[in-house]
Amino acid sequence: MIRLPRPLFLALKLAAIAGLIVVLLLLPHVLSEFRLSQFTYVGIYFIALLGLNILSGYSGQISLGHGAFMGIGAYVTAVLTLGHKGLVLFGHHPPGWLPIGDGMRPALTIPIAFVVTGIVGFLFGMPALRLAGVSLALATFAMAVSLPQVAKKFENVTGGGGGLSLPLPETPFGLDVSTPHWLYYEAWGCAAVLFVAAWLLVRARVGRAWRAIRDGELAATASGVSPALYKTLAFGVSSAFAGVAGSLLAIQVAYVNPDTFPLSLSILLLASVVVGGLGSLSGVVVGALMLEFLPIYAQHPPFVGQSFSKQAPGIAFGVVLILIMFAVPAGAAGLLRRIVRPLTKPVPTVSD
Amino acid sequence: MAQFLQQVASGLASGAIYASLALALVLIYRATDVINFAQGEMATFMTYLAWSLMNHGLSYWPAFALTLLIAFAGGVAVERVVIRPVERKPEIVIVIVTIGLLISINAITGWIWGADVKAFDSPFPNSTHDIGGVTISTQDVGTFGVCLLTVLLLWAFFRFTTVGLALRASAINPHASRLLAVRVSWMLALGWGLASVLGAVAGMMAAPTVFLDPSMMLVILIYAFAAAVLGGIDSPVGAVIGGLSLGVVINLLSAYVNFVGSELRLPTALAILLVVLIIRPQGLLGHRVVRRV
Amino acid sequence: MKKSLLVGMAVALATAVTASTALGATRTSSSAGATPGVTSTSITIGGTFPLTGPASLYAPIPRGMETYFNFINARKGPDGKKGVYGRKINWKYYDDAYNPAQTVQLTNQLILQDNVFAIVGSLGTEHNQAIRPILNQRKIPQIFISTGASFWGLQYKDFPWTMGWQPDYIAEGIAYGRWIVANAPTAKIAVLYQNDDYGKDYLRGLKIGLARKTSLIVSEQSYEITDTSYASQISKQKASGADTWVLLTTPTPTVRAIATGKALNWKPNQIVINSVSAIDTVMAAAVARAGADYVAGAVSSGYLKNPTNPAYAKDPWVRQYRQLVAKYGPTGLDANNGNTYYGVAKAYDIVKVLYLAGKNPTRQSLMNATLKMNWTNPYALKGIKIKTGKIDHFPISQMRLARWNGSWTEFGPLIKGR
Repeated sequence: MIRLPRPLFLALKLAAIAGLIVVLLLLPHVLSEFRLSQFTYVGIYFIALLGLNILSGYSGQISLGHGAFMGIGAYVTAVLTLGHKGLVLFGHHPPGWLPIGDGMRPALTIPIAFVVTGIVGFLFGMPALRLAGVSLALATFAMAVSLPQVAKKFENVTGGGGGLSLPLPETPFGLDVSTPHWLYYEAWGCAAVLFVAAWLLVRARVGRAWRAIRDGELAATASGVSPALYKTLAFGVSSAFAGVAGSLLAIQVAYVNPDTFPLSLSILLLASVVVGGLGSLSGVVVGALMLEFLPIYAQHPPFVGQSFSKQAPGIAFGVVLILIMFAVPAGAAGLLRRIVRPLTKPVPTVSD
Repeated sequence: MAQFLQQVASGLASGAIYASLALALVLIYRATDVINFAQGEMATFMTYLAWSLMNHGLSYWPAFALTLLIAFAGGVAVERVVIRPVERKPEIVIVIVTIGLLISINAITGWIWGADVKAFDSPFPNSTHDIGGVTISTQDVGTFGVCLLTVLLLWAFFRFTTVGLALRASAINPHASRLLAVRVSWMLALGWGLASVLGAVAGMMAAPTVFLDPSMMLVILIYAFAAAVLGGIDSPVGAVIGGLSLGVVINLLSAYVNFVGSELRLPTALAILLVVLIIRPQGLLGHRVVRRV
Repeated sequence: MKKSLLVGMAVALATAVTASTALGATRTSSSAGATPGVTSTSITIGGTFPLTGPASLYAPIPRGMETYFNFINARKGPDGKKGVYGRKINWKYYDDAYNPAQTVQLTNQLILQDNVFAIVGSLGTEHNQAIRPILNQRKIPQIFISTGASFWGLQYKDFPWTMGWQPDYIAEGIAYGRWIVANAPTAKIAVLYQNDDYGKDYLRGLKIGLARKTSLIVSEQSYEITDTSYASQISKQKASGADTWVLLTTPTPTVRAIATGKALNWKPNQIVINSVSAIDTVMAAAVARAGADYVAGAVSSGYLKNPTNPAYAKDPWVRQYRQLVAKYGPTGLDANNGNTYYGVAKAYDIVKVLYLAGKNPTRQSLMNATLKMNWTNPYALKGIKIKTGKIDHFPISQMRLARWNGSWTEFGPLIKGR
């Protein structure tokens, strides 16, 4: 193959991003209400995977509890949207000192979910990142299973197992768009902002420090980077992203309970990041599409019998995950990179 | 007082099961520096297999022995087929492979055996003993005994057999071992085989009281994680002590601290895990690790 | 760099999905004007169920319904036509893995994409709670849902498009409470309940039934689905000196609790709930671990015939049921599973109410029909009426107590729950 000159390549890249933006802007005008809502979910998963990818792909850590962090964001939004008045109306008894106000517009709770979940993630990451390697994976795995229990314990605020119903979503601020459209723009608006933030972050000093730690902790320490601080920071940022995704999910679904964020969600999130490509922000698009469409299209897989069919997606999913690790640990993005290798300058990733 | 001792006794019974699975985790961690997230699912699968064997007319102990053999072969096979290709890859890759295993094995178990409640036989009589107002079932004593026996056998294996010695050597220093003609790579497979056996023992000991369910070991695995970290992730004795003390502590907290109750049993295990990581990352009996490069 | 192509690929993928689905969308919405989901030859209904995940135990329910609908589509009805007034029932069900977020999304797929006439039988209290507002806002029937929470029947003023089917948990709890007061007024009761709305509804009912005798309860303990052992709770219950054990527990936890009680050498009289007594494998498992003596005499309640009970072996409807499963059921469906039977029994009422909705049914006429039900379901216990009215939104509210002696035998009169 021939090597394209760099300016031309850059132009191609910009064109592709522009193309994606155009498609995203066009979708609301051509899609049915249901399909549009599916792409809203894609946007939500995109944000969660973006955060997880910062953690796994750039700082080399694994979280098996990002579903739980989405849960925290979702509960923040649900509780703030209802406020004292709403919770009491549903028969709950939030303690009076709790600063949750008397009901807020759901959209305004998103930045609060970002901050709260980020802080929780940062605090959780401090001990969890003490040990090298797998301790974070371990602690987050336990977190994913424990969080629903915590939500049940504080039922005065969280509604316990019965959960919290939010008001059905509607377009706020008197804007002249239909509700499904508004939800779509809201999700992708957040996604765009966070994508740019992530892009800037991984290219800034912090991002370089993360990559240095991923590629060799000792060497990174020697060059004056504090692994503990930066890893915790990565975990905090990544949790905050998950919090926004959870918040948007709560708005979209208009219901939150402990079953909404099971361990399987956390595992699927990690799997999707891997399939999309560790360390590649654009691979996240592929991961998010898969996360949304796979479970729905796997409902009636072709060529398999009735009893087998329900478990078939699980079996296939696990096997594919392993095969990807064998063959293309860099995921879909890596596969593509490999195909167009002559066109590109190799970028070090986890597998290299 | 009797009530207190009763809580301790039932805590020890749960703890013995956590300890077995924690030991399996530690074994693999020592051999390959990996946490096997599929350990619980592998144990569940083997337990169902034992159920099928018994359902096809085998009596308990032959089925038990056969299951352990299959578990060993299965563990070795998993190491050879799925772990070996990624052996030298970064930890994150290996962890994801074990997650892939977790997902598939769980689905395969659900596919073969379905979700109906199934009773699992116990080799021990259904009798109880009353000691000073504390009721202890033969089942619990038996579980405890089997777990203890497994640990002793394992210890003897590592201490007195050449293979056991070679296994330890290759975990501590693979390069030097290779020079001494130890087949390091096969030693790792052996480690996986043994861990799988331990998991199967834990599963078969737990099943008579938790009953068969495709996710029966999931929560037990989390307690086992906490137990392993508490005891020291690289210490087999620590895993056993960690498992037993975790079983007892959680039971006592939920029985006597109202705030914990039954809701916060599992989060308490997580809290213990985190606190240990803060205060004593090497656990009760582990070794302080020099960071590898 | 590598990004450009990847993004390109994603765009292509998105466009492909979009194009294919946008076409699909226009196709379905072109039939506007008529009642959604109803054509001259078919009527489409749908629901969500946990086919995988933590509650996959209930997976046979939609398949039992499928069995009965297949039968209806194949046989000639009273008017000589197959299906309901010549319309074949098109039954769509999806796996929500017991996750309410998935329930919402898949229900959206059913109502927006598959264009169903009504949501029927969806399983799970929280799951139905999650979809109730949107279905009521859009005036889409959400009927005969598979949950026994009491508010489906109580909150009809706020949610007129929603209706349950089976006797509610509170009513069942009341029945146990009253039975204890009448038959064992000096009992010392220990209650073990699942710590969620399900267990708490039952507990509330039990206390209402006990009325002034609530003080008979000497121990109340709860468990979590994540508990690996109940020994801690149950040894406390044993120490309380209780002689009657009310287990407000789902199937697997029930057998765990019974095995644990046996291991602690505590032998109280037991009361187990209907979702336990409806599936024979649960009691079989309890017998296998705790022994037949331990569970002998346990009390429960029921409203459907039990297909595995020898007493019903010659019942014509139970025999017909077995033939239906063999002939029309999806492969691998187990006729001995109580959940399969539940699905068939529920489908019977759905077909009846679809007839009642008229030759040209609308969503409104369906809801009107659900308030005029008055018949007996041959799969239910003898004497039980499927009956509703303007202020009675509980289709089945009668039940009978049953006692375990190797199988469940009903005893005593019909109990009116509401």
